[in-house]
Amino acid sequence: MTTPVLGATVQEGMDISGVIYTYNPIKELADDFTVTVQNENAAGDGYIFQDTEDFSGKHPIRIRKVLQLPYVPIENFGRGSIATTGVGSIEDASVIYMYRFDACRNPQNDPSCPDYIPPLPPPIKVYDALDDESVKFATKETDKDLLDDDEDNKQSNEEEEDIDRLEVMLGIAANAFTIANGVTQSSLINTMNSVNMDTYYVARIPSKVYREPLVLKDQGISDNRKVLRSLSNDRLHQTMIEEQYK
Amino acid sequence: MKKILITMSLILGVVSAHANTSITGTVESRCEVVTDISGYFGNPNAYTLTTLPASNGQIPQIRITSTLANAYKALVSYPTSFSSSPSLSNSVAFTGTVAIASASSSDMSGYAAASTVTNNGAMRTYYLTHAGTIYVTVASTAIHGGNKAFPGGQYVAVAEASCIAQ
Repeated sequence: MTTPVLGATVQEGMDISGVIYTYNPIKELADDFTVTVQNENAAGDGYIFQDTEDFSGKHPIRIRKVLQLPYVPIENFGRGSIATTGVGSIEDASVIYMYRFDACRNPQNDPSCPDYIPPLPPPIKVYDALDDESVKFATKETDKDLLDDDEDNKQSNEEEEDIDRLEVMLGIAANAFTIANGVTQSSLINTMNSVNMDTYYVARIPSKVYREPLVLKDQGISDNRKVLRSLSNDRLHQTMIEEQYK
Repeated sequence: MKKILITMSLILGVVSAHANTSITGTVESRCEVVTDISGYFGNPNAYTLTTLPASNGQIPQIRITSTLANAYKALVSYPTSFSSSPSLSNSVAFTGTVAIASASSSDMSGYAAASTVTNNGAMRTYYLTHAGTIYVTVASTAIHGGNKAFPGGQYVAVAEASCIAQ
């Protein structure tokens, strides 16, 4: 009874110990009819069990049977089937398997088993930029044709720049005409005014550096002796005044 | 005199000793009767109690297993009276059926035809001529006389099954 047959994960350690099956045969009394419930042996040839009921010449009666089996690993159970021979059919059939489970037969089934080995963490994938396809593509040698295309593009860019330059020059000429037009208007205004303002507007102050012309040299300054004498007199005078109040 | 007698008896005991030894044995029945499904009554109307599933009842099922062929016969009967019920003013008419629902072998397909009926049809006897198991159902219906409503309360009826030697 493998995983695809059982439709569920088959774990190591599960043993089948019996089968309970039931079905309802449909037949006429006189007809020969047999029904066999069986399971193929996935570990070898033949069947793990086969149980046949012969209804030939018998009344149909609903069968409900319990089959005891020696403990058989579930991995050995192959495809199960209910085969019939003769004239008749079955309906409302079901097959139930009895089992036991030894969780520690494969210690990895349960962390509490004695020989359980904690699984290793999954390997970490190291990123190598040199192996990256995008990087390889980006660093790949450029195609020569693409270089030619670049030269063509450069030439076309130069032509576009020439055109732009011509447009700029034409724009400057247009501005010149505009300026000239302004100048003409200014001359008209000047003729209309009695005061000539051009001297004020046109006056230009030349830039000049004004350097310090004086240079003071340290020639030494002697003490003023007259001041010392005056200070001495002042002290004497002050002493005399204080004498009056003693 | 007593002492003599006692002495004599002791002498006699030495001369003619005897013992009674018990021989015991246990016979385990090779026939087993087990209730697989307990039944209960549905109440489709005021005066009827029935085990039919269509009336919210449950038909009981009995499993009878014989490990010896031709050694036992199974007696199964549907109830003919309530074992406990509220006080009833009228009689109750019981009907029922006993049938084999399934068997462990096609060899037992002849059991129904070979069965006999007694007790006015209430008891059916199956002759267990093969080793194996039969599953017997017992359907039962009780109708209050005059179609009078059953008084409120709990009603219990017993379906009997037994296995006796042939």
